[in-house]
This record gives sequence, C-alpha cells and structure tokens, in this order.
Amino acid sequence: MTARLREALQAVADDAPAYPVYERALATARRSRHRHRLAATAAAVALVALTTMTLPLVRTPALEPAAGSPAALPDRVALPPIGTLHVTDRPLLGPAAVLFSGVAGRLKGWNDANRVGVVGADSDRYRIMPMGYEAPAGEVVLLSPDGRYVARPAGSHERPRVDIVDLATGRTRQLNGGPAASTSIEPAAWSPDGRQLVVRYIAPTDPPRAGHRAVLGVVTLDGERWTRLAEGGLQAIFGSPVAFTAAGDRIAFQVGRSVTVSKPDGTALSSLLLPADSWLAGKGAWSADGRWLTVTTRRADNTDWSLRRLDPATGRDAGPLDLPTVSGTTAIRLLGWGPDGSALVVAYEPGPVAQDRFDQPLEMDQRTAYGNVGGVQVLALMPGATGPRTVLTAPAEVLAVDVADEVIRSGRTRQASPPGGVGGRFWFWTTLTVVVWAGIAVYRCRENLALWLDDRRVRRARATAERSG
Amino acid sequence: MAETFREFVVHRSPRLSRTAYLLTGDHQLAEDLLQAALARTYRHWRRISDGDPEAYVRRVMYHQQISWWRRRRITERLQSQPPERAATDTAEATVLRLSLATALRRLTPRQRTVLVLRFYEDLTEAQVAQVLGCSVGTVKRHGHDALRRLREIAPELVDVPVERSAR
Repeated sequence: MTARLREALQAVADDAPAYPVYERALATARRSRHRHRLAATAAAVALVALTTMTLPLVRTPALEPAAGSPAALPDRVALPPIGTLHVTDRPLLGPAAVLFSGVAGRLKGWNDANRVGVVGADSDRYRIMPMGYEAPAGEVVLLSPDGRYVARPAGSHERPRVDIVDLATGRTRQLNGGPAASTSIEPAAWSPDGRQLVVRYIAPTDPPRAGHRAVLGVVTLDGERWTRLAEGGLQAIFGSPVAFTAAGDRIAFQVGRSVTVSKPDGTALSSLLLPADSWLAGKGAWSADGRWLTVTTRRADNTDWSLRRLDPATGRDAGPLDLPTVSGTTAIRLLGWGPDGSALVVAYEPGPVAQDRFDQPLEMDQRTAYGNVGGVQVLALMPGATGPRTVLTAPAEVLAVDVADEVIRSGRTRQASPPGGVGGRFWFWTTLTVVVWAGIAVYRCRENLALWLDDRRVRRARATAERSG
Repeated sequence: MAETFREFVVHRSPRLSRTAYLLTGDHQLAEDLLQAALARTYRHWRRISDGDPEAYVRRVMYHQQISWWRRRRITERLQSQPPERAATDTAEATVLRLSLATALRRLTPRQRTVLVLRFYEDLTEAQVAQVLGCSVGTVKRHGHDALRRLREIAPELVDVPVERSAR
C-alpha cells in the first residue's frame, strides 16, 4: 500500500540538490559558541554573586562587638565604602553618633552629588545621605541631640524646605518654606529636647520680591508654630552658630559681630558685642549650667585658638578657660561638654591649596569653607591638660563633622572598626544586573537550550530503552 | 582515523540535503535546517565524530524542524478540505512529485517526520520512536494520521491509481 509513497518520497528527495552550507554552518556554530560562553560567564558571575550574598545569611551570625552597647564616639571615621546603603535603606541605621561631609571621592559620588556620611551610635555601621550640593555637616546638616534625626536643607529654589529624616524609621518629614514665601531655608540648630528646630531662611521684603531679608526662626517639627528670633539684611554671618542652653530656655546666636540671647518665644534678653577675632564658640557655647557663654578667640598674628567665657547678660569677659590651646588650625568649633568638664571641639586643619592666611583676620565662614580646609578632627580639651587630646580622626578631605549631643555628654568613646569592601547597594545592583543579563542570555539562547533539553530527553529515553531491552 | 568535519559534510551533504528537503518541503527551509543541524554537530564534533555523526545530524534536524514548526504554526494553516488536485497528464512521475510535495506541506512536522523516517529512511516504528524520543504508540498514531491525511489529499500516493477508461 505504501510502495508508491516510498517511490514518491525517493523521487521528491532526488530533486533536492546538495545544499552548500558548510561555511555558513561553521559561522553559525562559532556565533553560537560565543553566545554560550557569554551565557556561561553570566551564569558564573550570578552564581558567585548569589553565593556571596547568601553565605553571610546562612552562616552562624557573629555577635557584633558593639551591638546593643550604649552610644559612643568612634575614635575615627572612614570614607563610606562604594555602594554604601542610604539612610532610608533597610536595614535602617537607628540613632547615629556622627555625621561627616567633605570632598573626598567617596563623598562626592559619580556626578559630584555630595553625600553626608552617617555613623551608627553603637557600632560602626555606615550609611550615606545624598545631598546634591555642598552641605557641611554640623553647619547646615545637623544631627539631633539624641542622634535619631538628621535635619537637612532640601527642595528647590521655588519651593525650598527642610527635610527631617528619621534614621530609625526611614521616614522623612518636610518643613516647607516658612511663614513667608522664602527662597532658601536651612536648619541652624536643634533644641535640646529635639522638638524644635532653629532655621535660617531668606524671605522677600515685599510681594514683588524686590528685596530680600534674612530671618532666623524657631519652628516646631510639625511645622505648625513659627517664631521669629531675628531679622536683618543678607550678610555672611547671620544666625551662625546657634546654641541652646541645656534646659532649652535660652538661645544664643551670632549675627555679624554681635551675639543675641533670647528666649525660644522670640523675646530678646541681651545683645553682646564680640571682641575682634572672637566668635560664638558653636552649638555647645553654653556652659552646662547655663551661666556662661563660650567664645573662641584667636590670638593675634598666629593660629592659636582658646576658649573664653562671657557673661550672657552683660557680655563681661570672664577670662580664658583653663583648657589647652589649639594651634595650627583655621578655626575650632565647640560641639559641647563632656562629663569631666572637657570641651569637645572640631579642629579645622588648613587645606594644602588654601588661598587665605589664617593667622590674619578672616571671617569664620571663610575659615570653615571647604576650599580652605584640608581635614578635621575632634579634640577633647581637658581642664588643666597641657595639650588637646584627639578623640576622633577623619581621612583627608573629610571637611566637616557633627556629633550627637547625647554622645558628647556621655563622654563614651569606642575603638572604631569602619566597614571595608563594598556596601549593600553594590551587591543589590550587581545581582540585579547579573540576573537581567542572565535572563537575556537565556532568552537569546532559548533555541539551543530547547535543543539541548530535547537532546537530553532523547538520551534518557534511549538509556531507559536500553536498560529495559 | 575519524573523518574531519569538512569531509563529513562533503560526503554526507547530498543525503542529508534530501532528508532536509523531505522534512520541510521547501528548499530555503531545508537549507536552513541543514545549516542549523550541521552547526550544532560541529560544536559537538569531538564527542560524536567517533560514533555515528550522520544519525546525530538527522536527529537534530527532526527535532529542529519540530521546534521551528512550533514557532511558525500560527502562520501555517491546514485546510479542512483537500485542495483541487492537479489534473492527470502524461508526465505522471512529475505529477506524483508535485502531489507529494504539496501533500507533505499539509502535514504537521511530526507527521511528516514519521513518514520520512518510516518510508524514506526505512526505520521500524520502534526505531522511529527511539529517534524522536517518544513512545511507539505515538509514532503509530502520527503515522496513521499522516497516511489518512495523505489519502484525503493525494490518494494516488497511497492507493493504487484507478485504471483509466479505455475510451
């Protein structure tokens, strides 16, 4: 019955010429081999990445040496590793001990978007906070007294705002604008209880915005209540620094060459004129008992810095404190007071290419400007000591630092162990990239994969048939 | 000494080309099919050159053809009624070839493959099942369906042609 079919098949087959496919088959095989190699490489990289990510999860977790220990000041900070998690990434950091910023490569990012480094309060866990512009820690990016919140300027020129980032929850609260349509706003100081923020903003003097004025105000964190502390023309030193008493009942701030003391409700209590080459010392300018204000003073014609006391009511100079002098720095800024009466100060070291002379009169904002500073360290000035003691060091090009008040007051320090290698974001993006490329490779090689699966199925079927036969 | 891949292609291409053409029913597709199968063979040449590389190429062609058909089948349409058959003429052999070519295009690749393996390669049903990696029952079903369809499309291929009237 099928004889004719056989004949017909033979006849039809005889019509087919020998196809000249040798060269093309070789080229196809080489392309296919190349794709296979790429897919194998992608798979190997994916495997390595997954193994690297999985191993830390399955191995016996080592107890973090400082886990659960109280907040303490690390004895050094390092540059955050490439791919460090952001402050809003999980796992969340929780309260921090130190903020730092600068112009080091890993604080600048690929597109010069400045970042602020954040160090955990109880251990050396690092996070970064992208800023997008130069934002010195301790001056416009501020750590709350308990280390849980970071206040930072944000928004655009049309809609400026202050963001308050909760390091424990990752949430961000926004303080918009100010009572008037301001063109810029930045945090200046935290109140001791962390419920209020002193902010500087620039507001138009009239509706057409023909002129502007600088305003210093206190705002509750919910943004409901704004209280004006001072108002004036635009000038270099306006509301910088700002210092609260420990009880939070008085605020001292410097405008130009004078220091104003006022209540948080805006009631001015006194105004003091500062001597030449003296500045309100910093956020820790009030003595622990609130009786004195501290100013930093540079000795004429050199770069020796000392701390002096002023009567906050009359401005009477009560003389220098019995603390070591700091030499060779562009400036010092007082962070606060330790339990042993020592003053913790940030010392700004001159930058290698700084244009200004720091043994000559120069305004404070220039002394701490990034272009004039080469590095910072935190020093403890112990009463009666012969010289300052370094309590925190930072790599070159870290140019500003802030420390949580609670850490300062506790006086606790710890040996730092900054993270090395690469951070969590690096692994996340690497894994994602590898998975995507592996997926593309599998898709592109799906024909060969299907053939290979068919091949395997046939081999197994044949083996089964041979066993059973 | 095992032959080189070039020698293999030179010697076996004519036979493999014929099989490829029977599997696809189209010269262009047959060429592509043979090219893909030889490319795959070349990648595994070291492993299979000592065995039966031609059987390997054929097996790859069978599976590749079915795999391609899976992706092309949306555009392929089987008609419920057989098309009008070519009128009988004196060149009976030519008509027969044309009928077969037309009929083969109207079979599914599995049916066509089973036909080629059974009636061109002269394999038994068990050997076909082994080559295709399926059961003998499946081979029988595809073979049965293929022949039934051929009877509908081109009965002269599987039945003895009706004697012509003497008038």
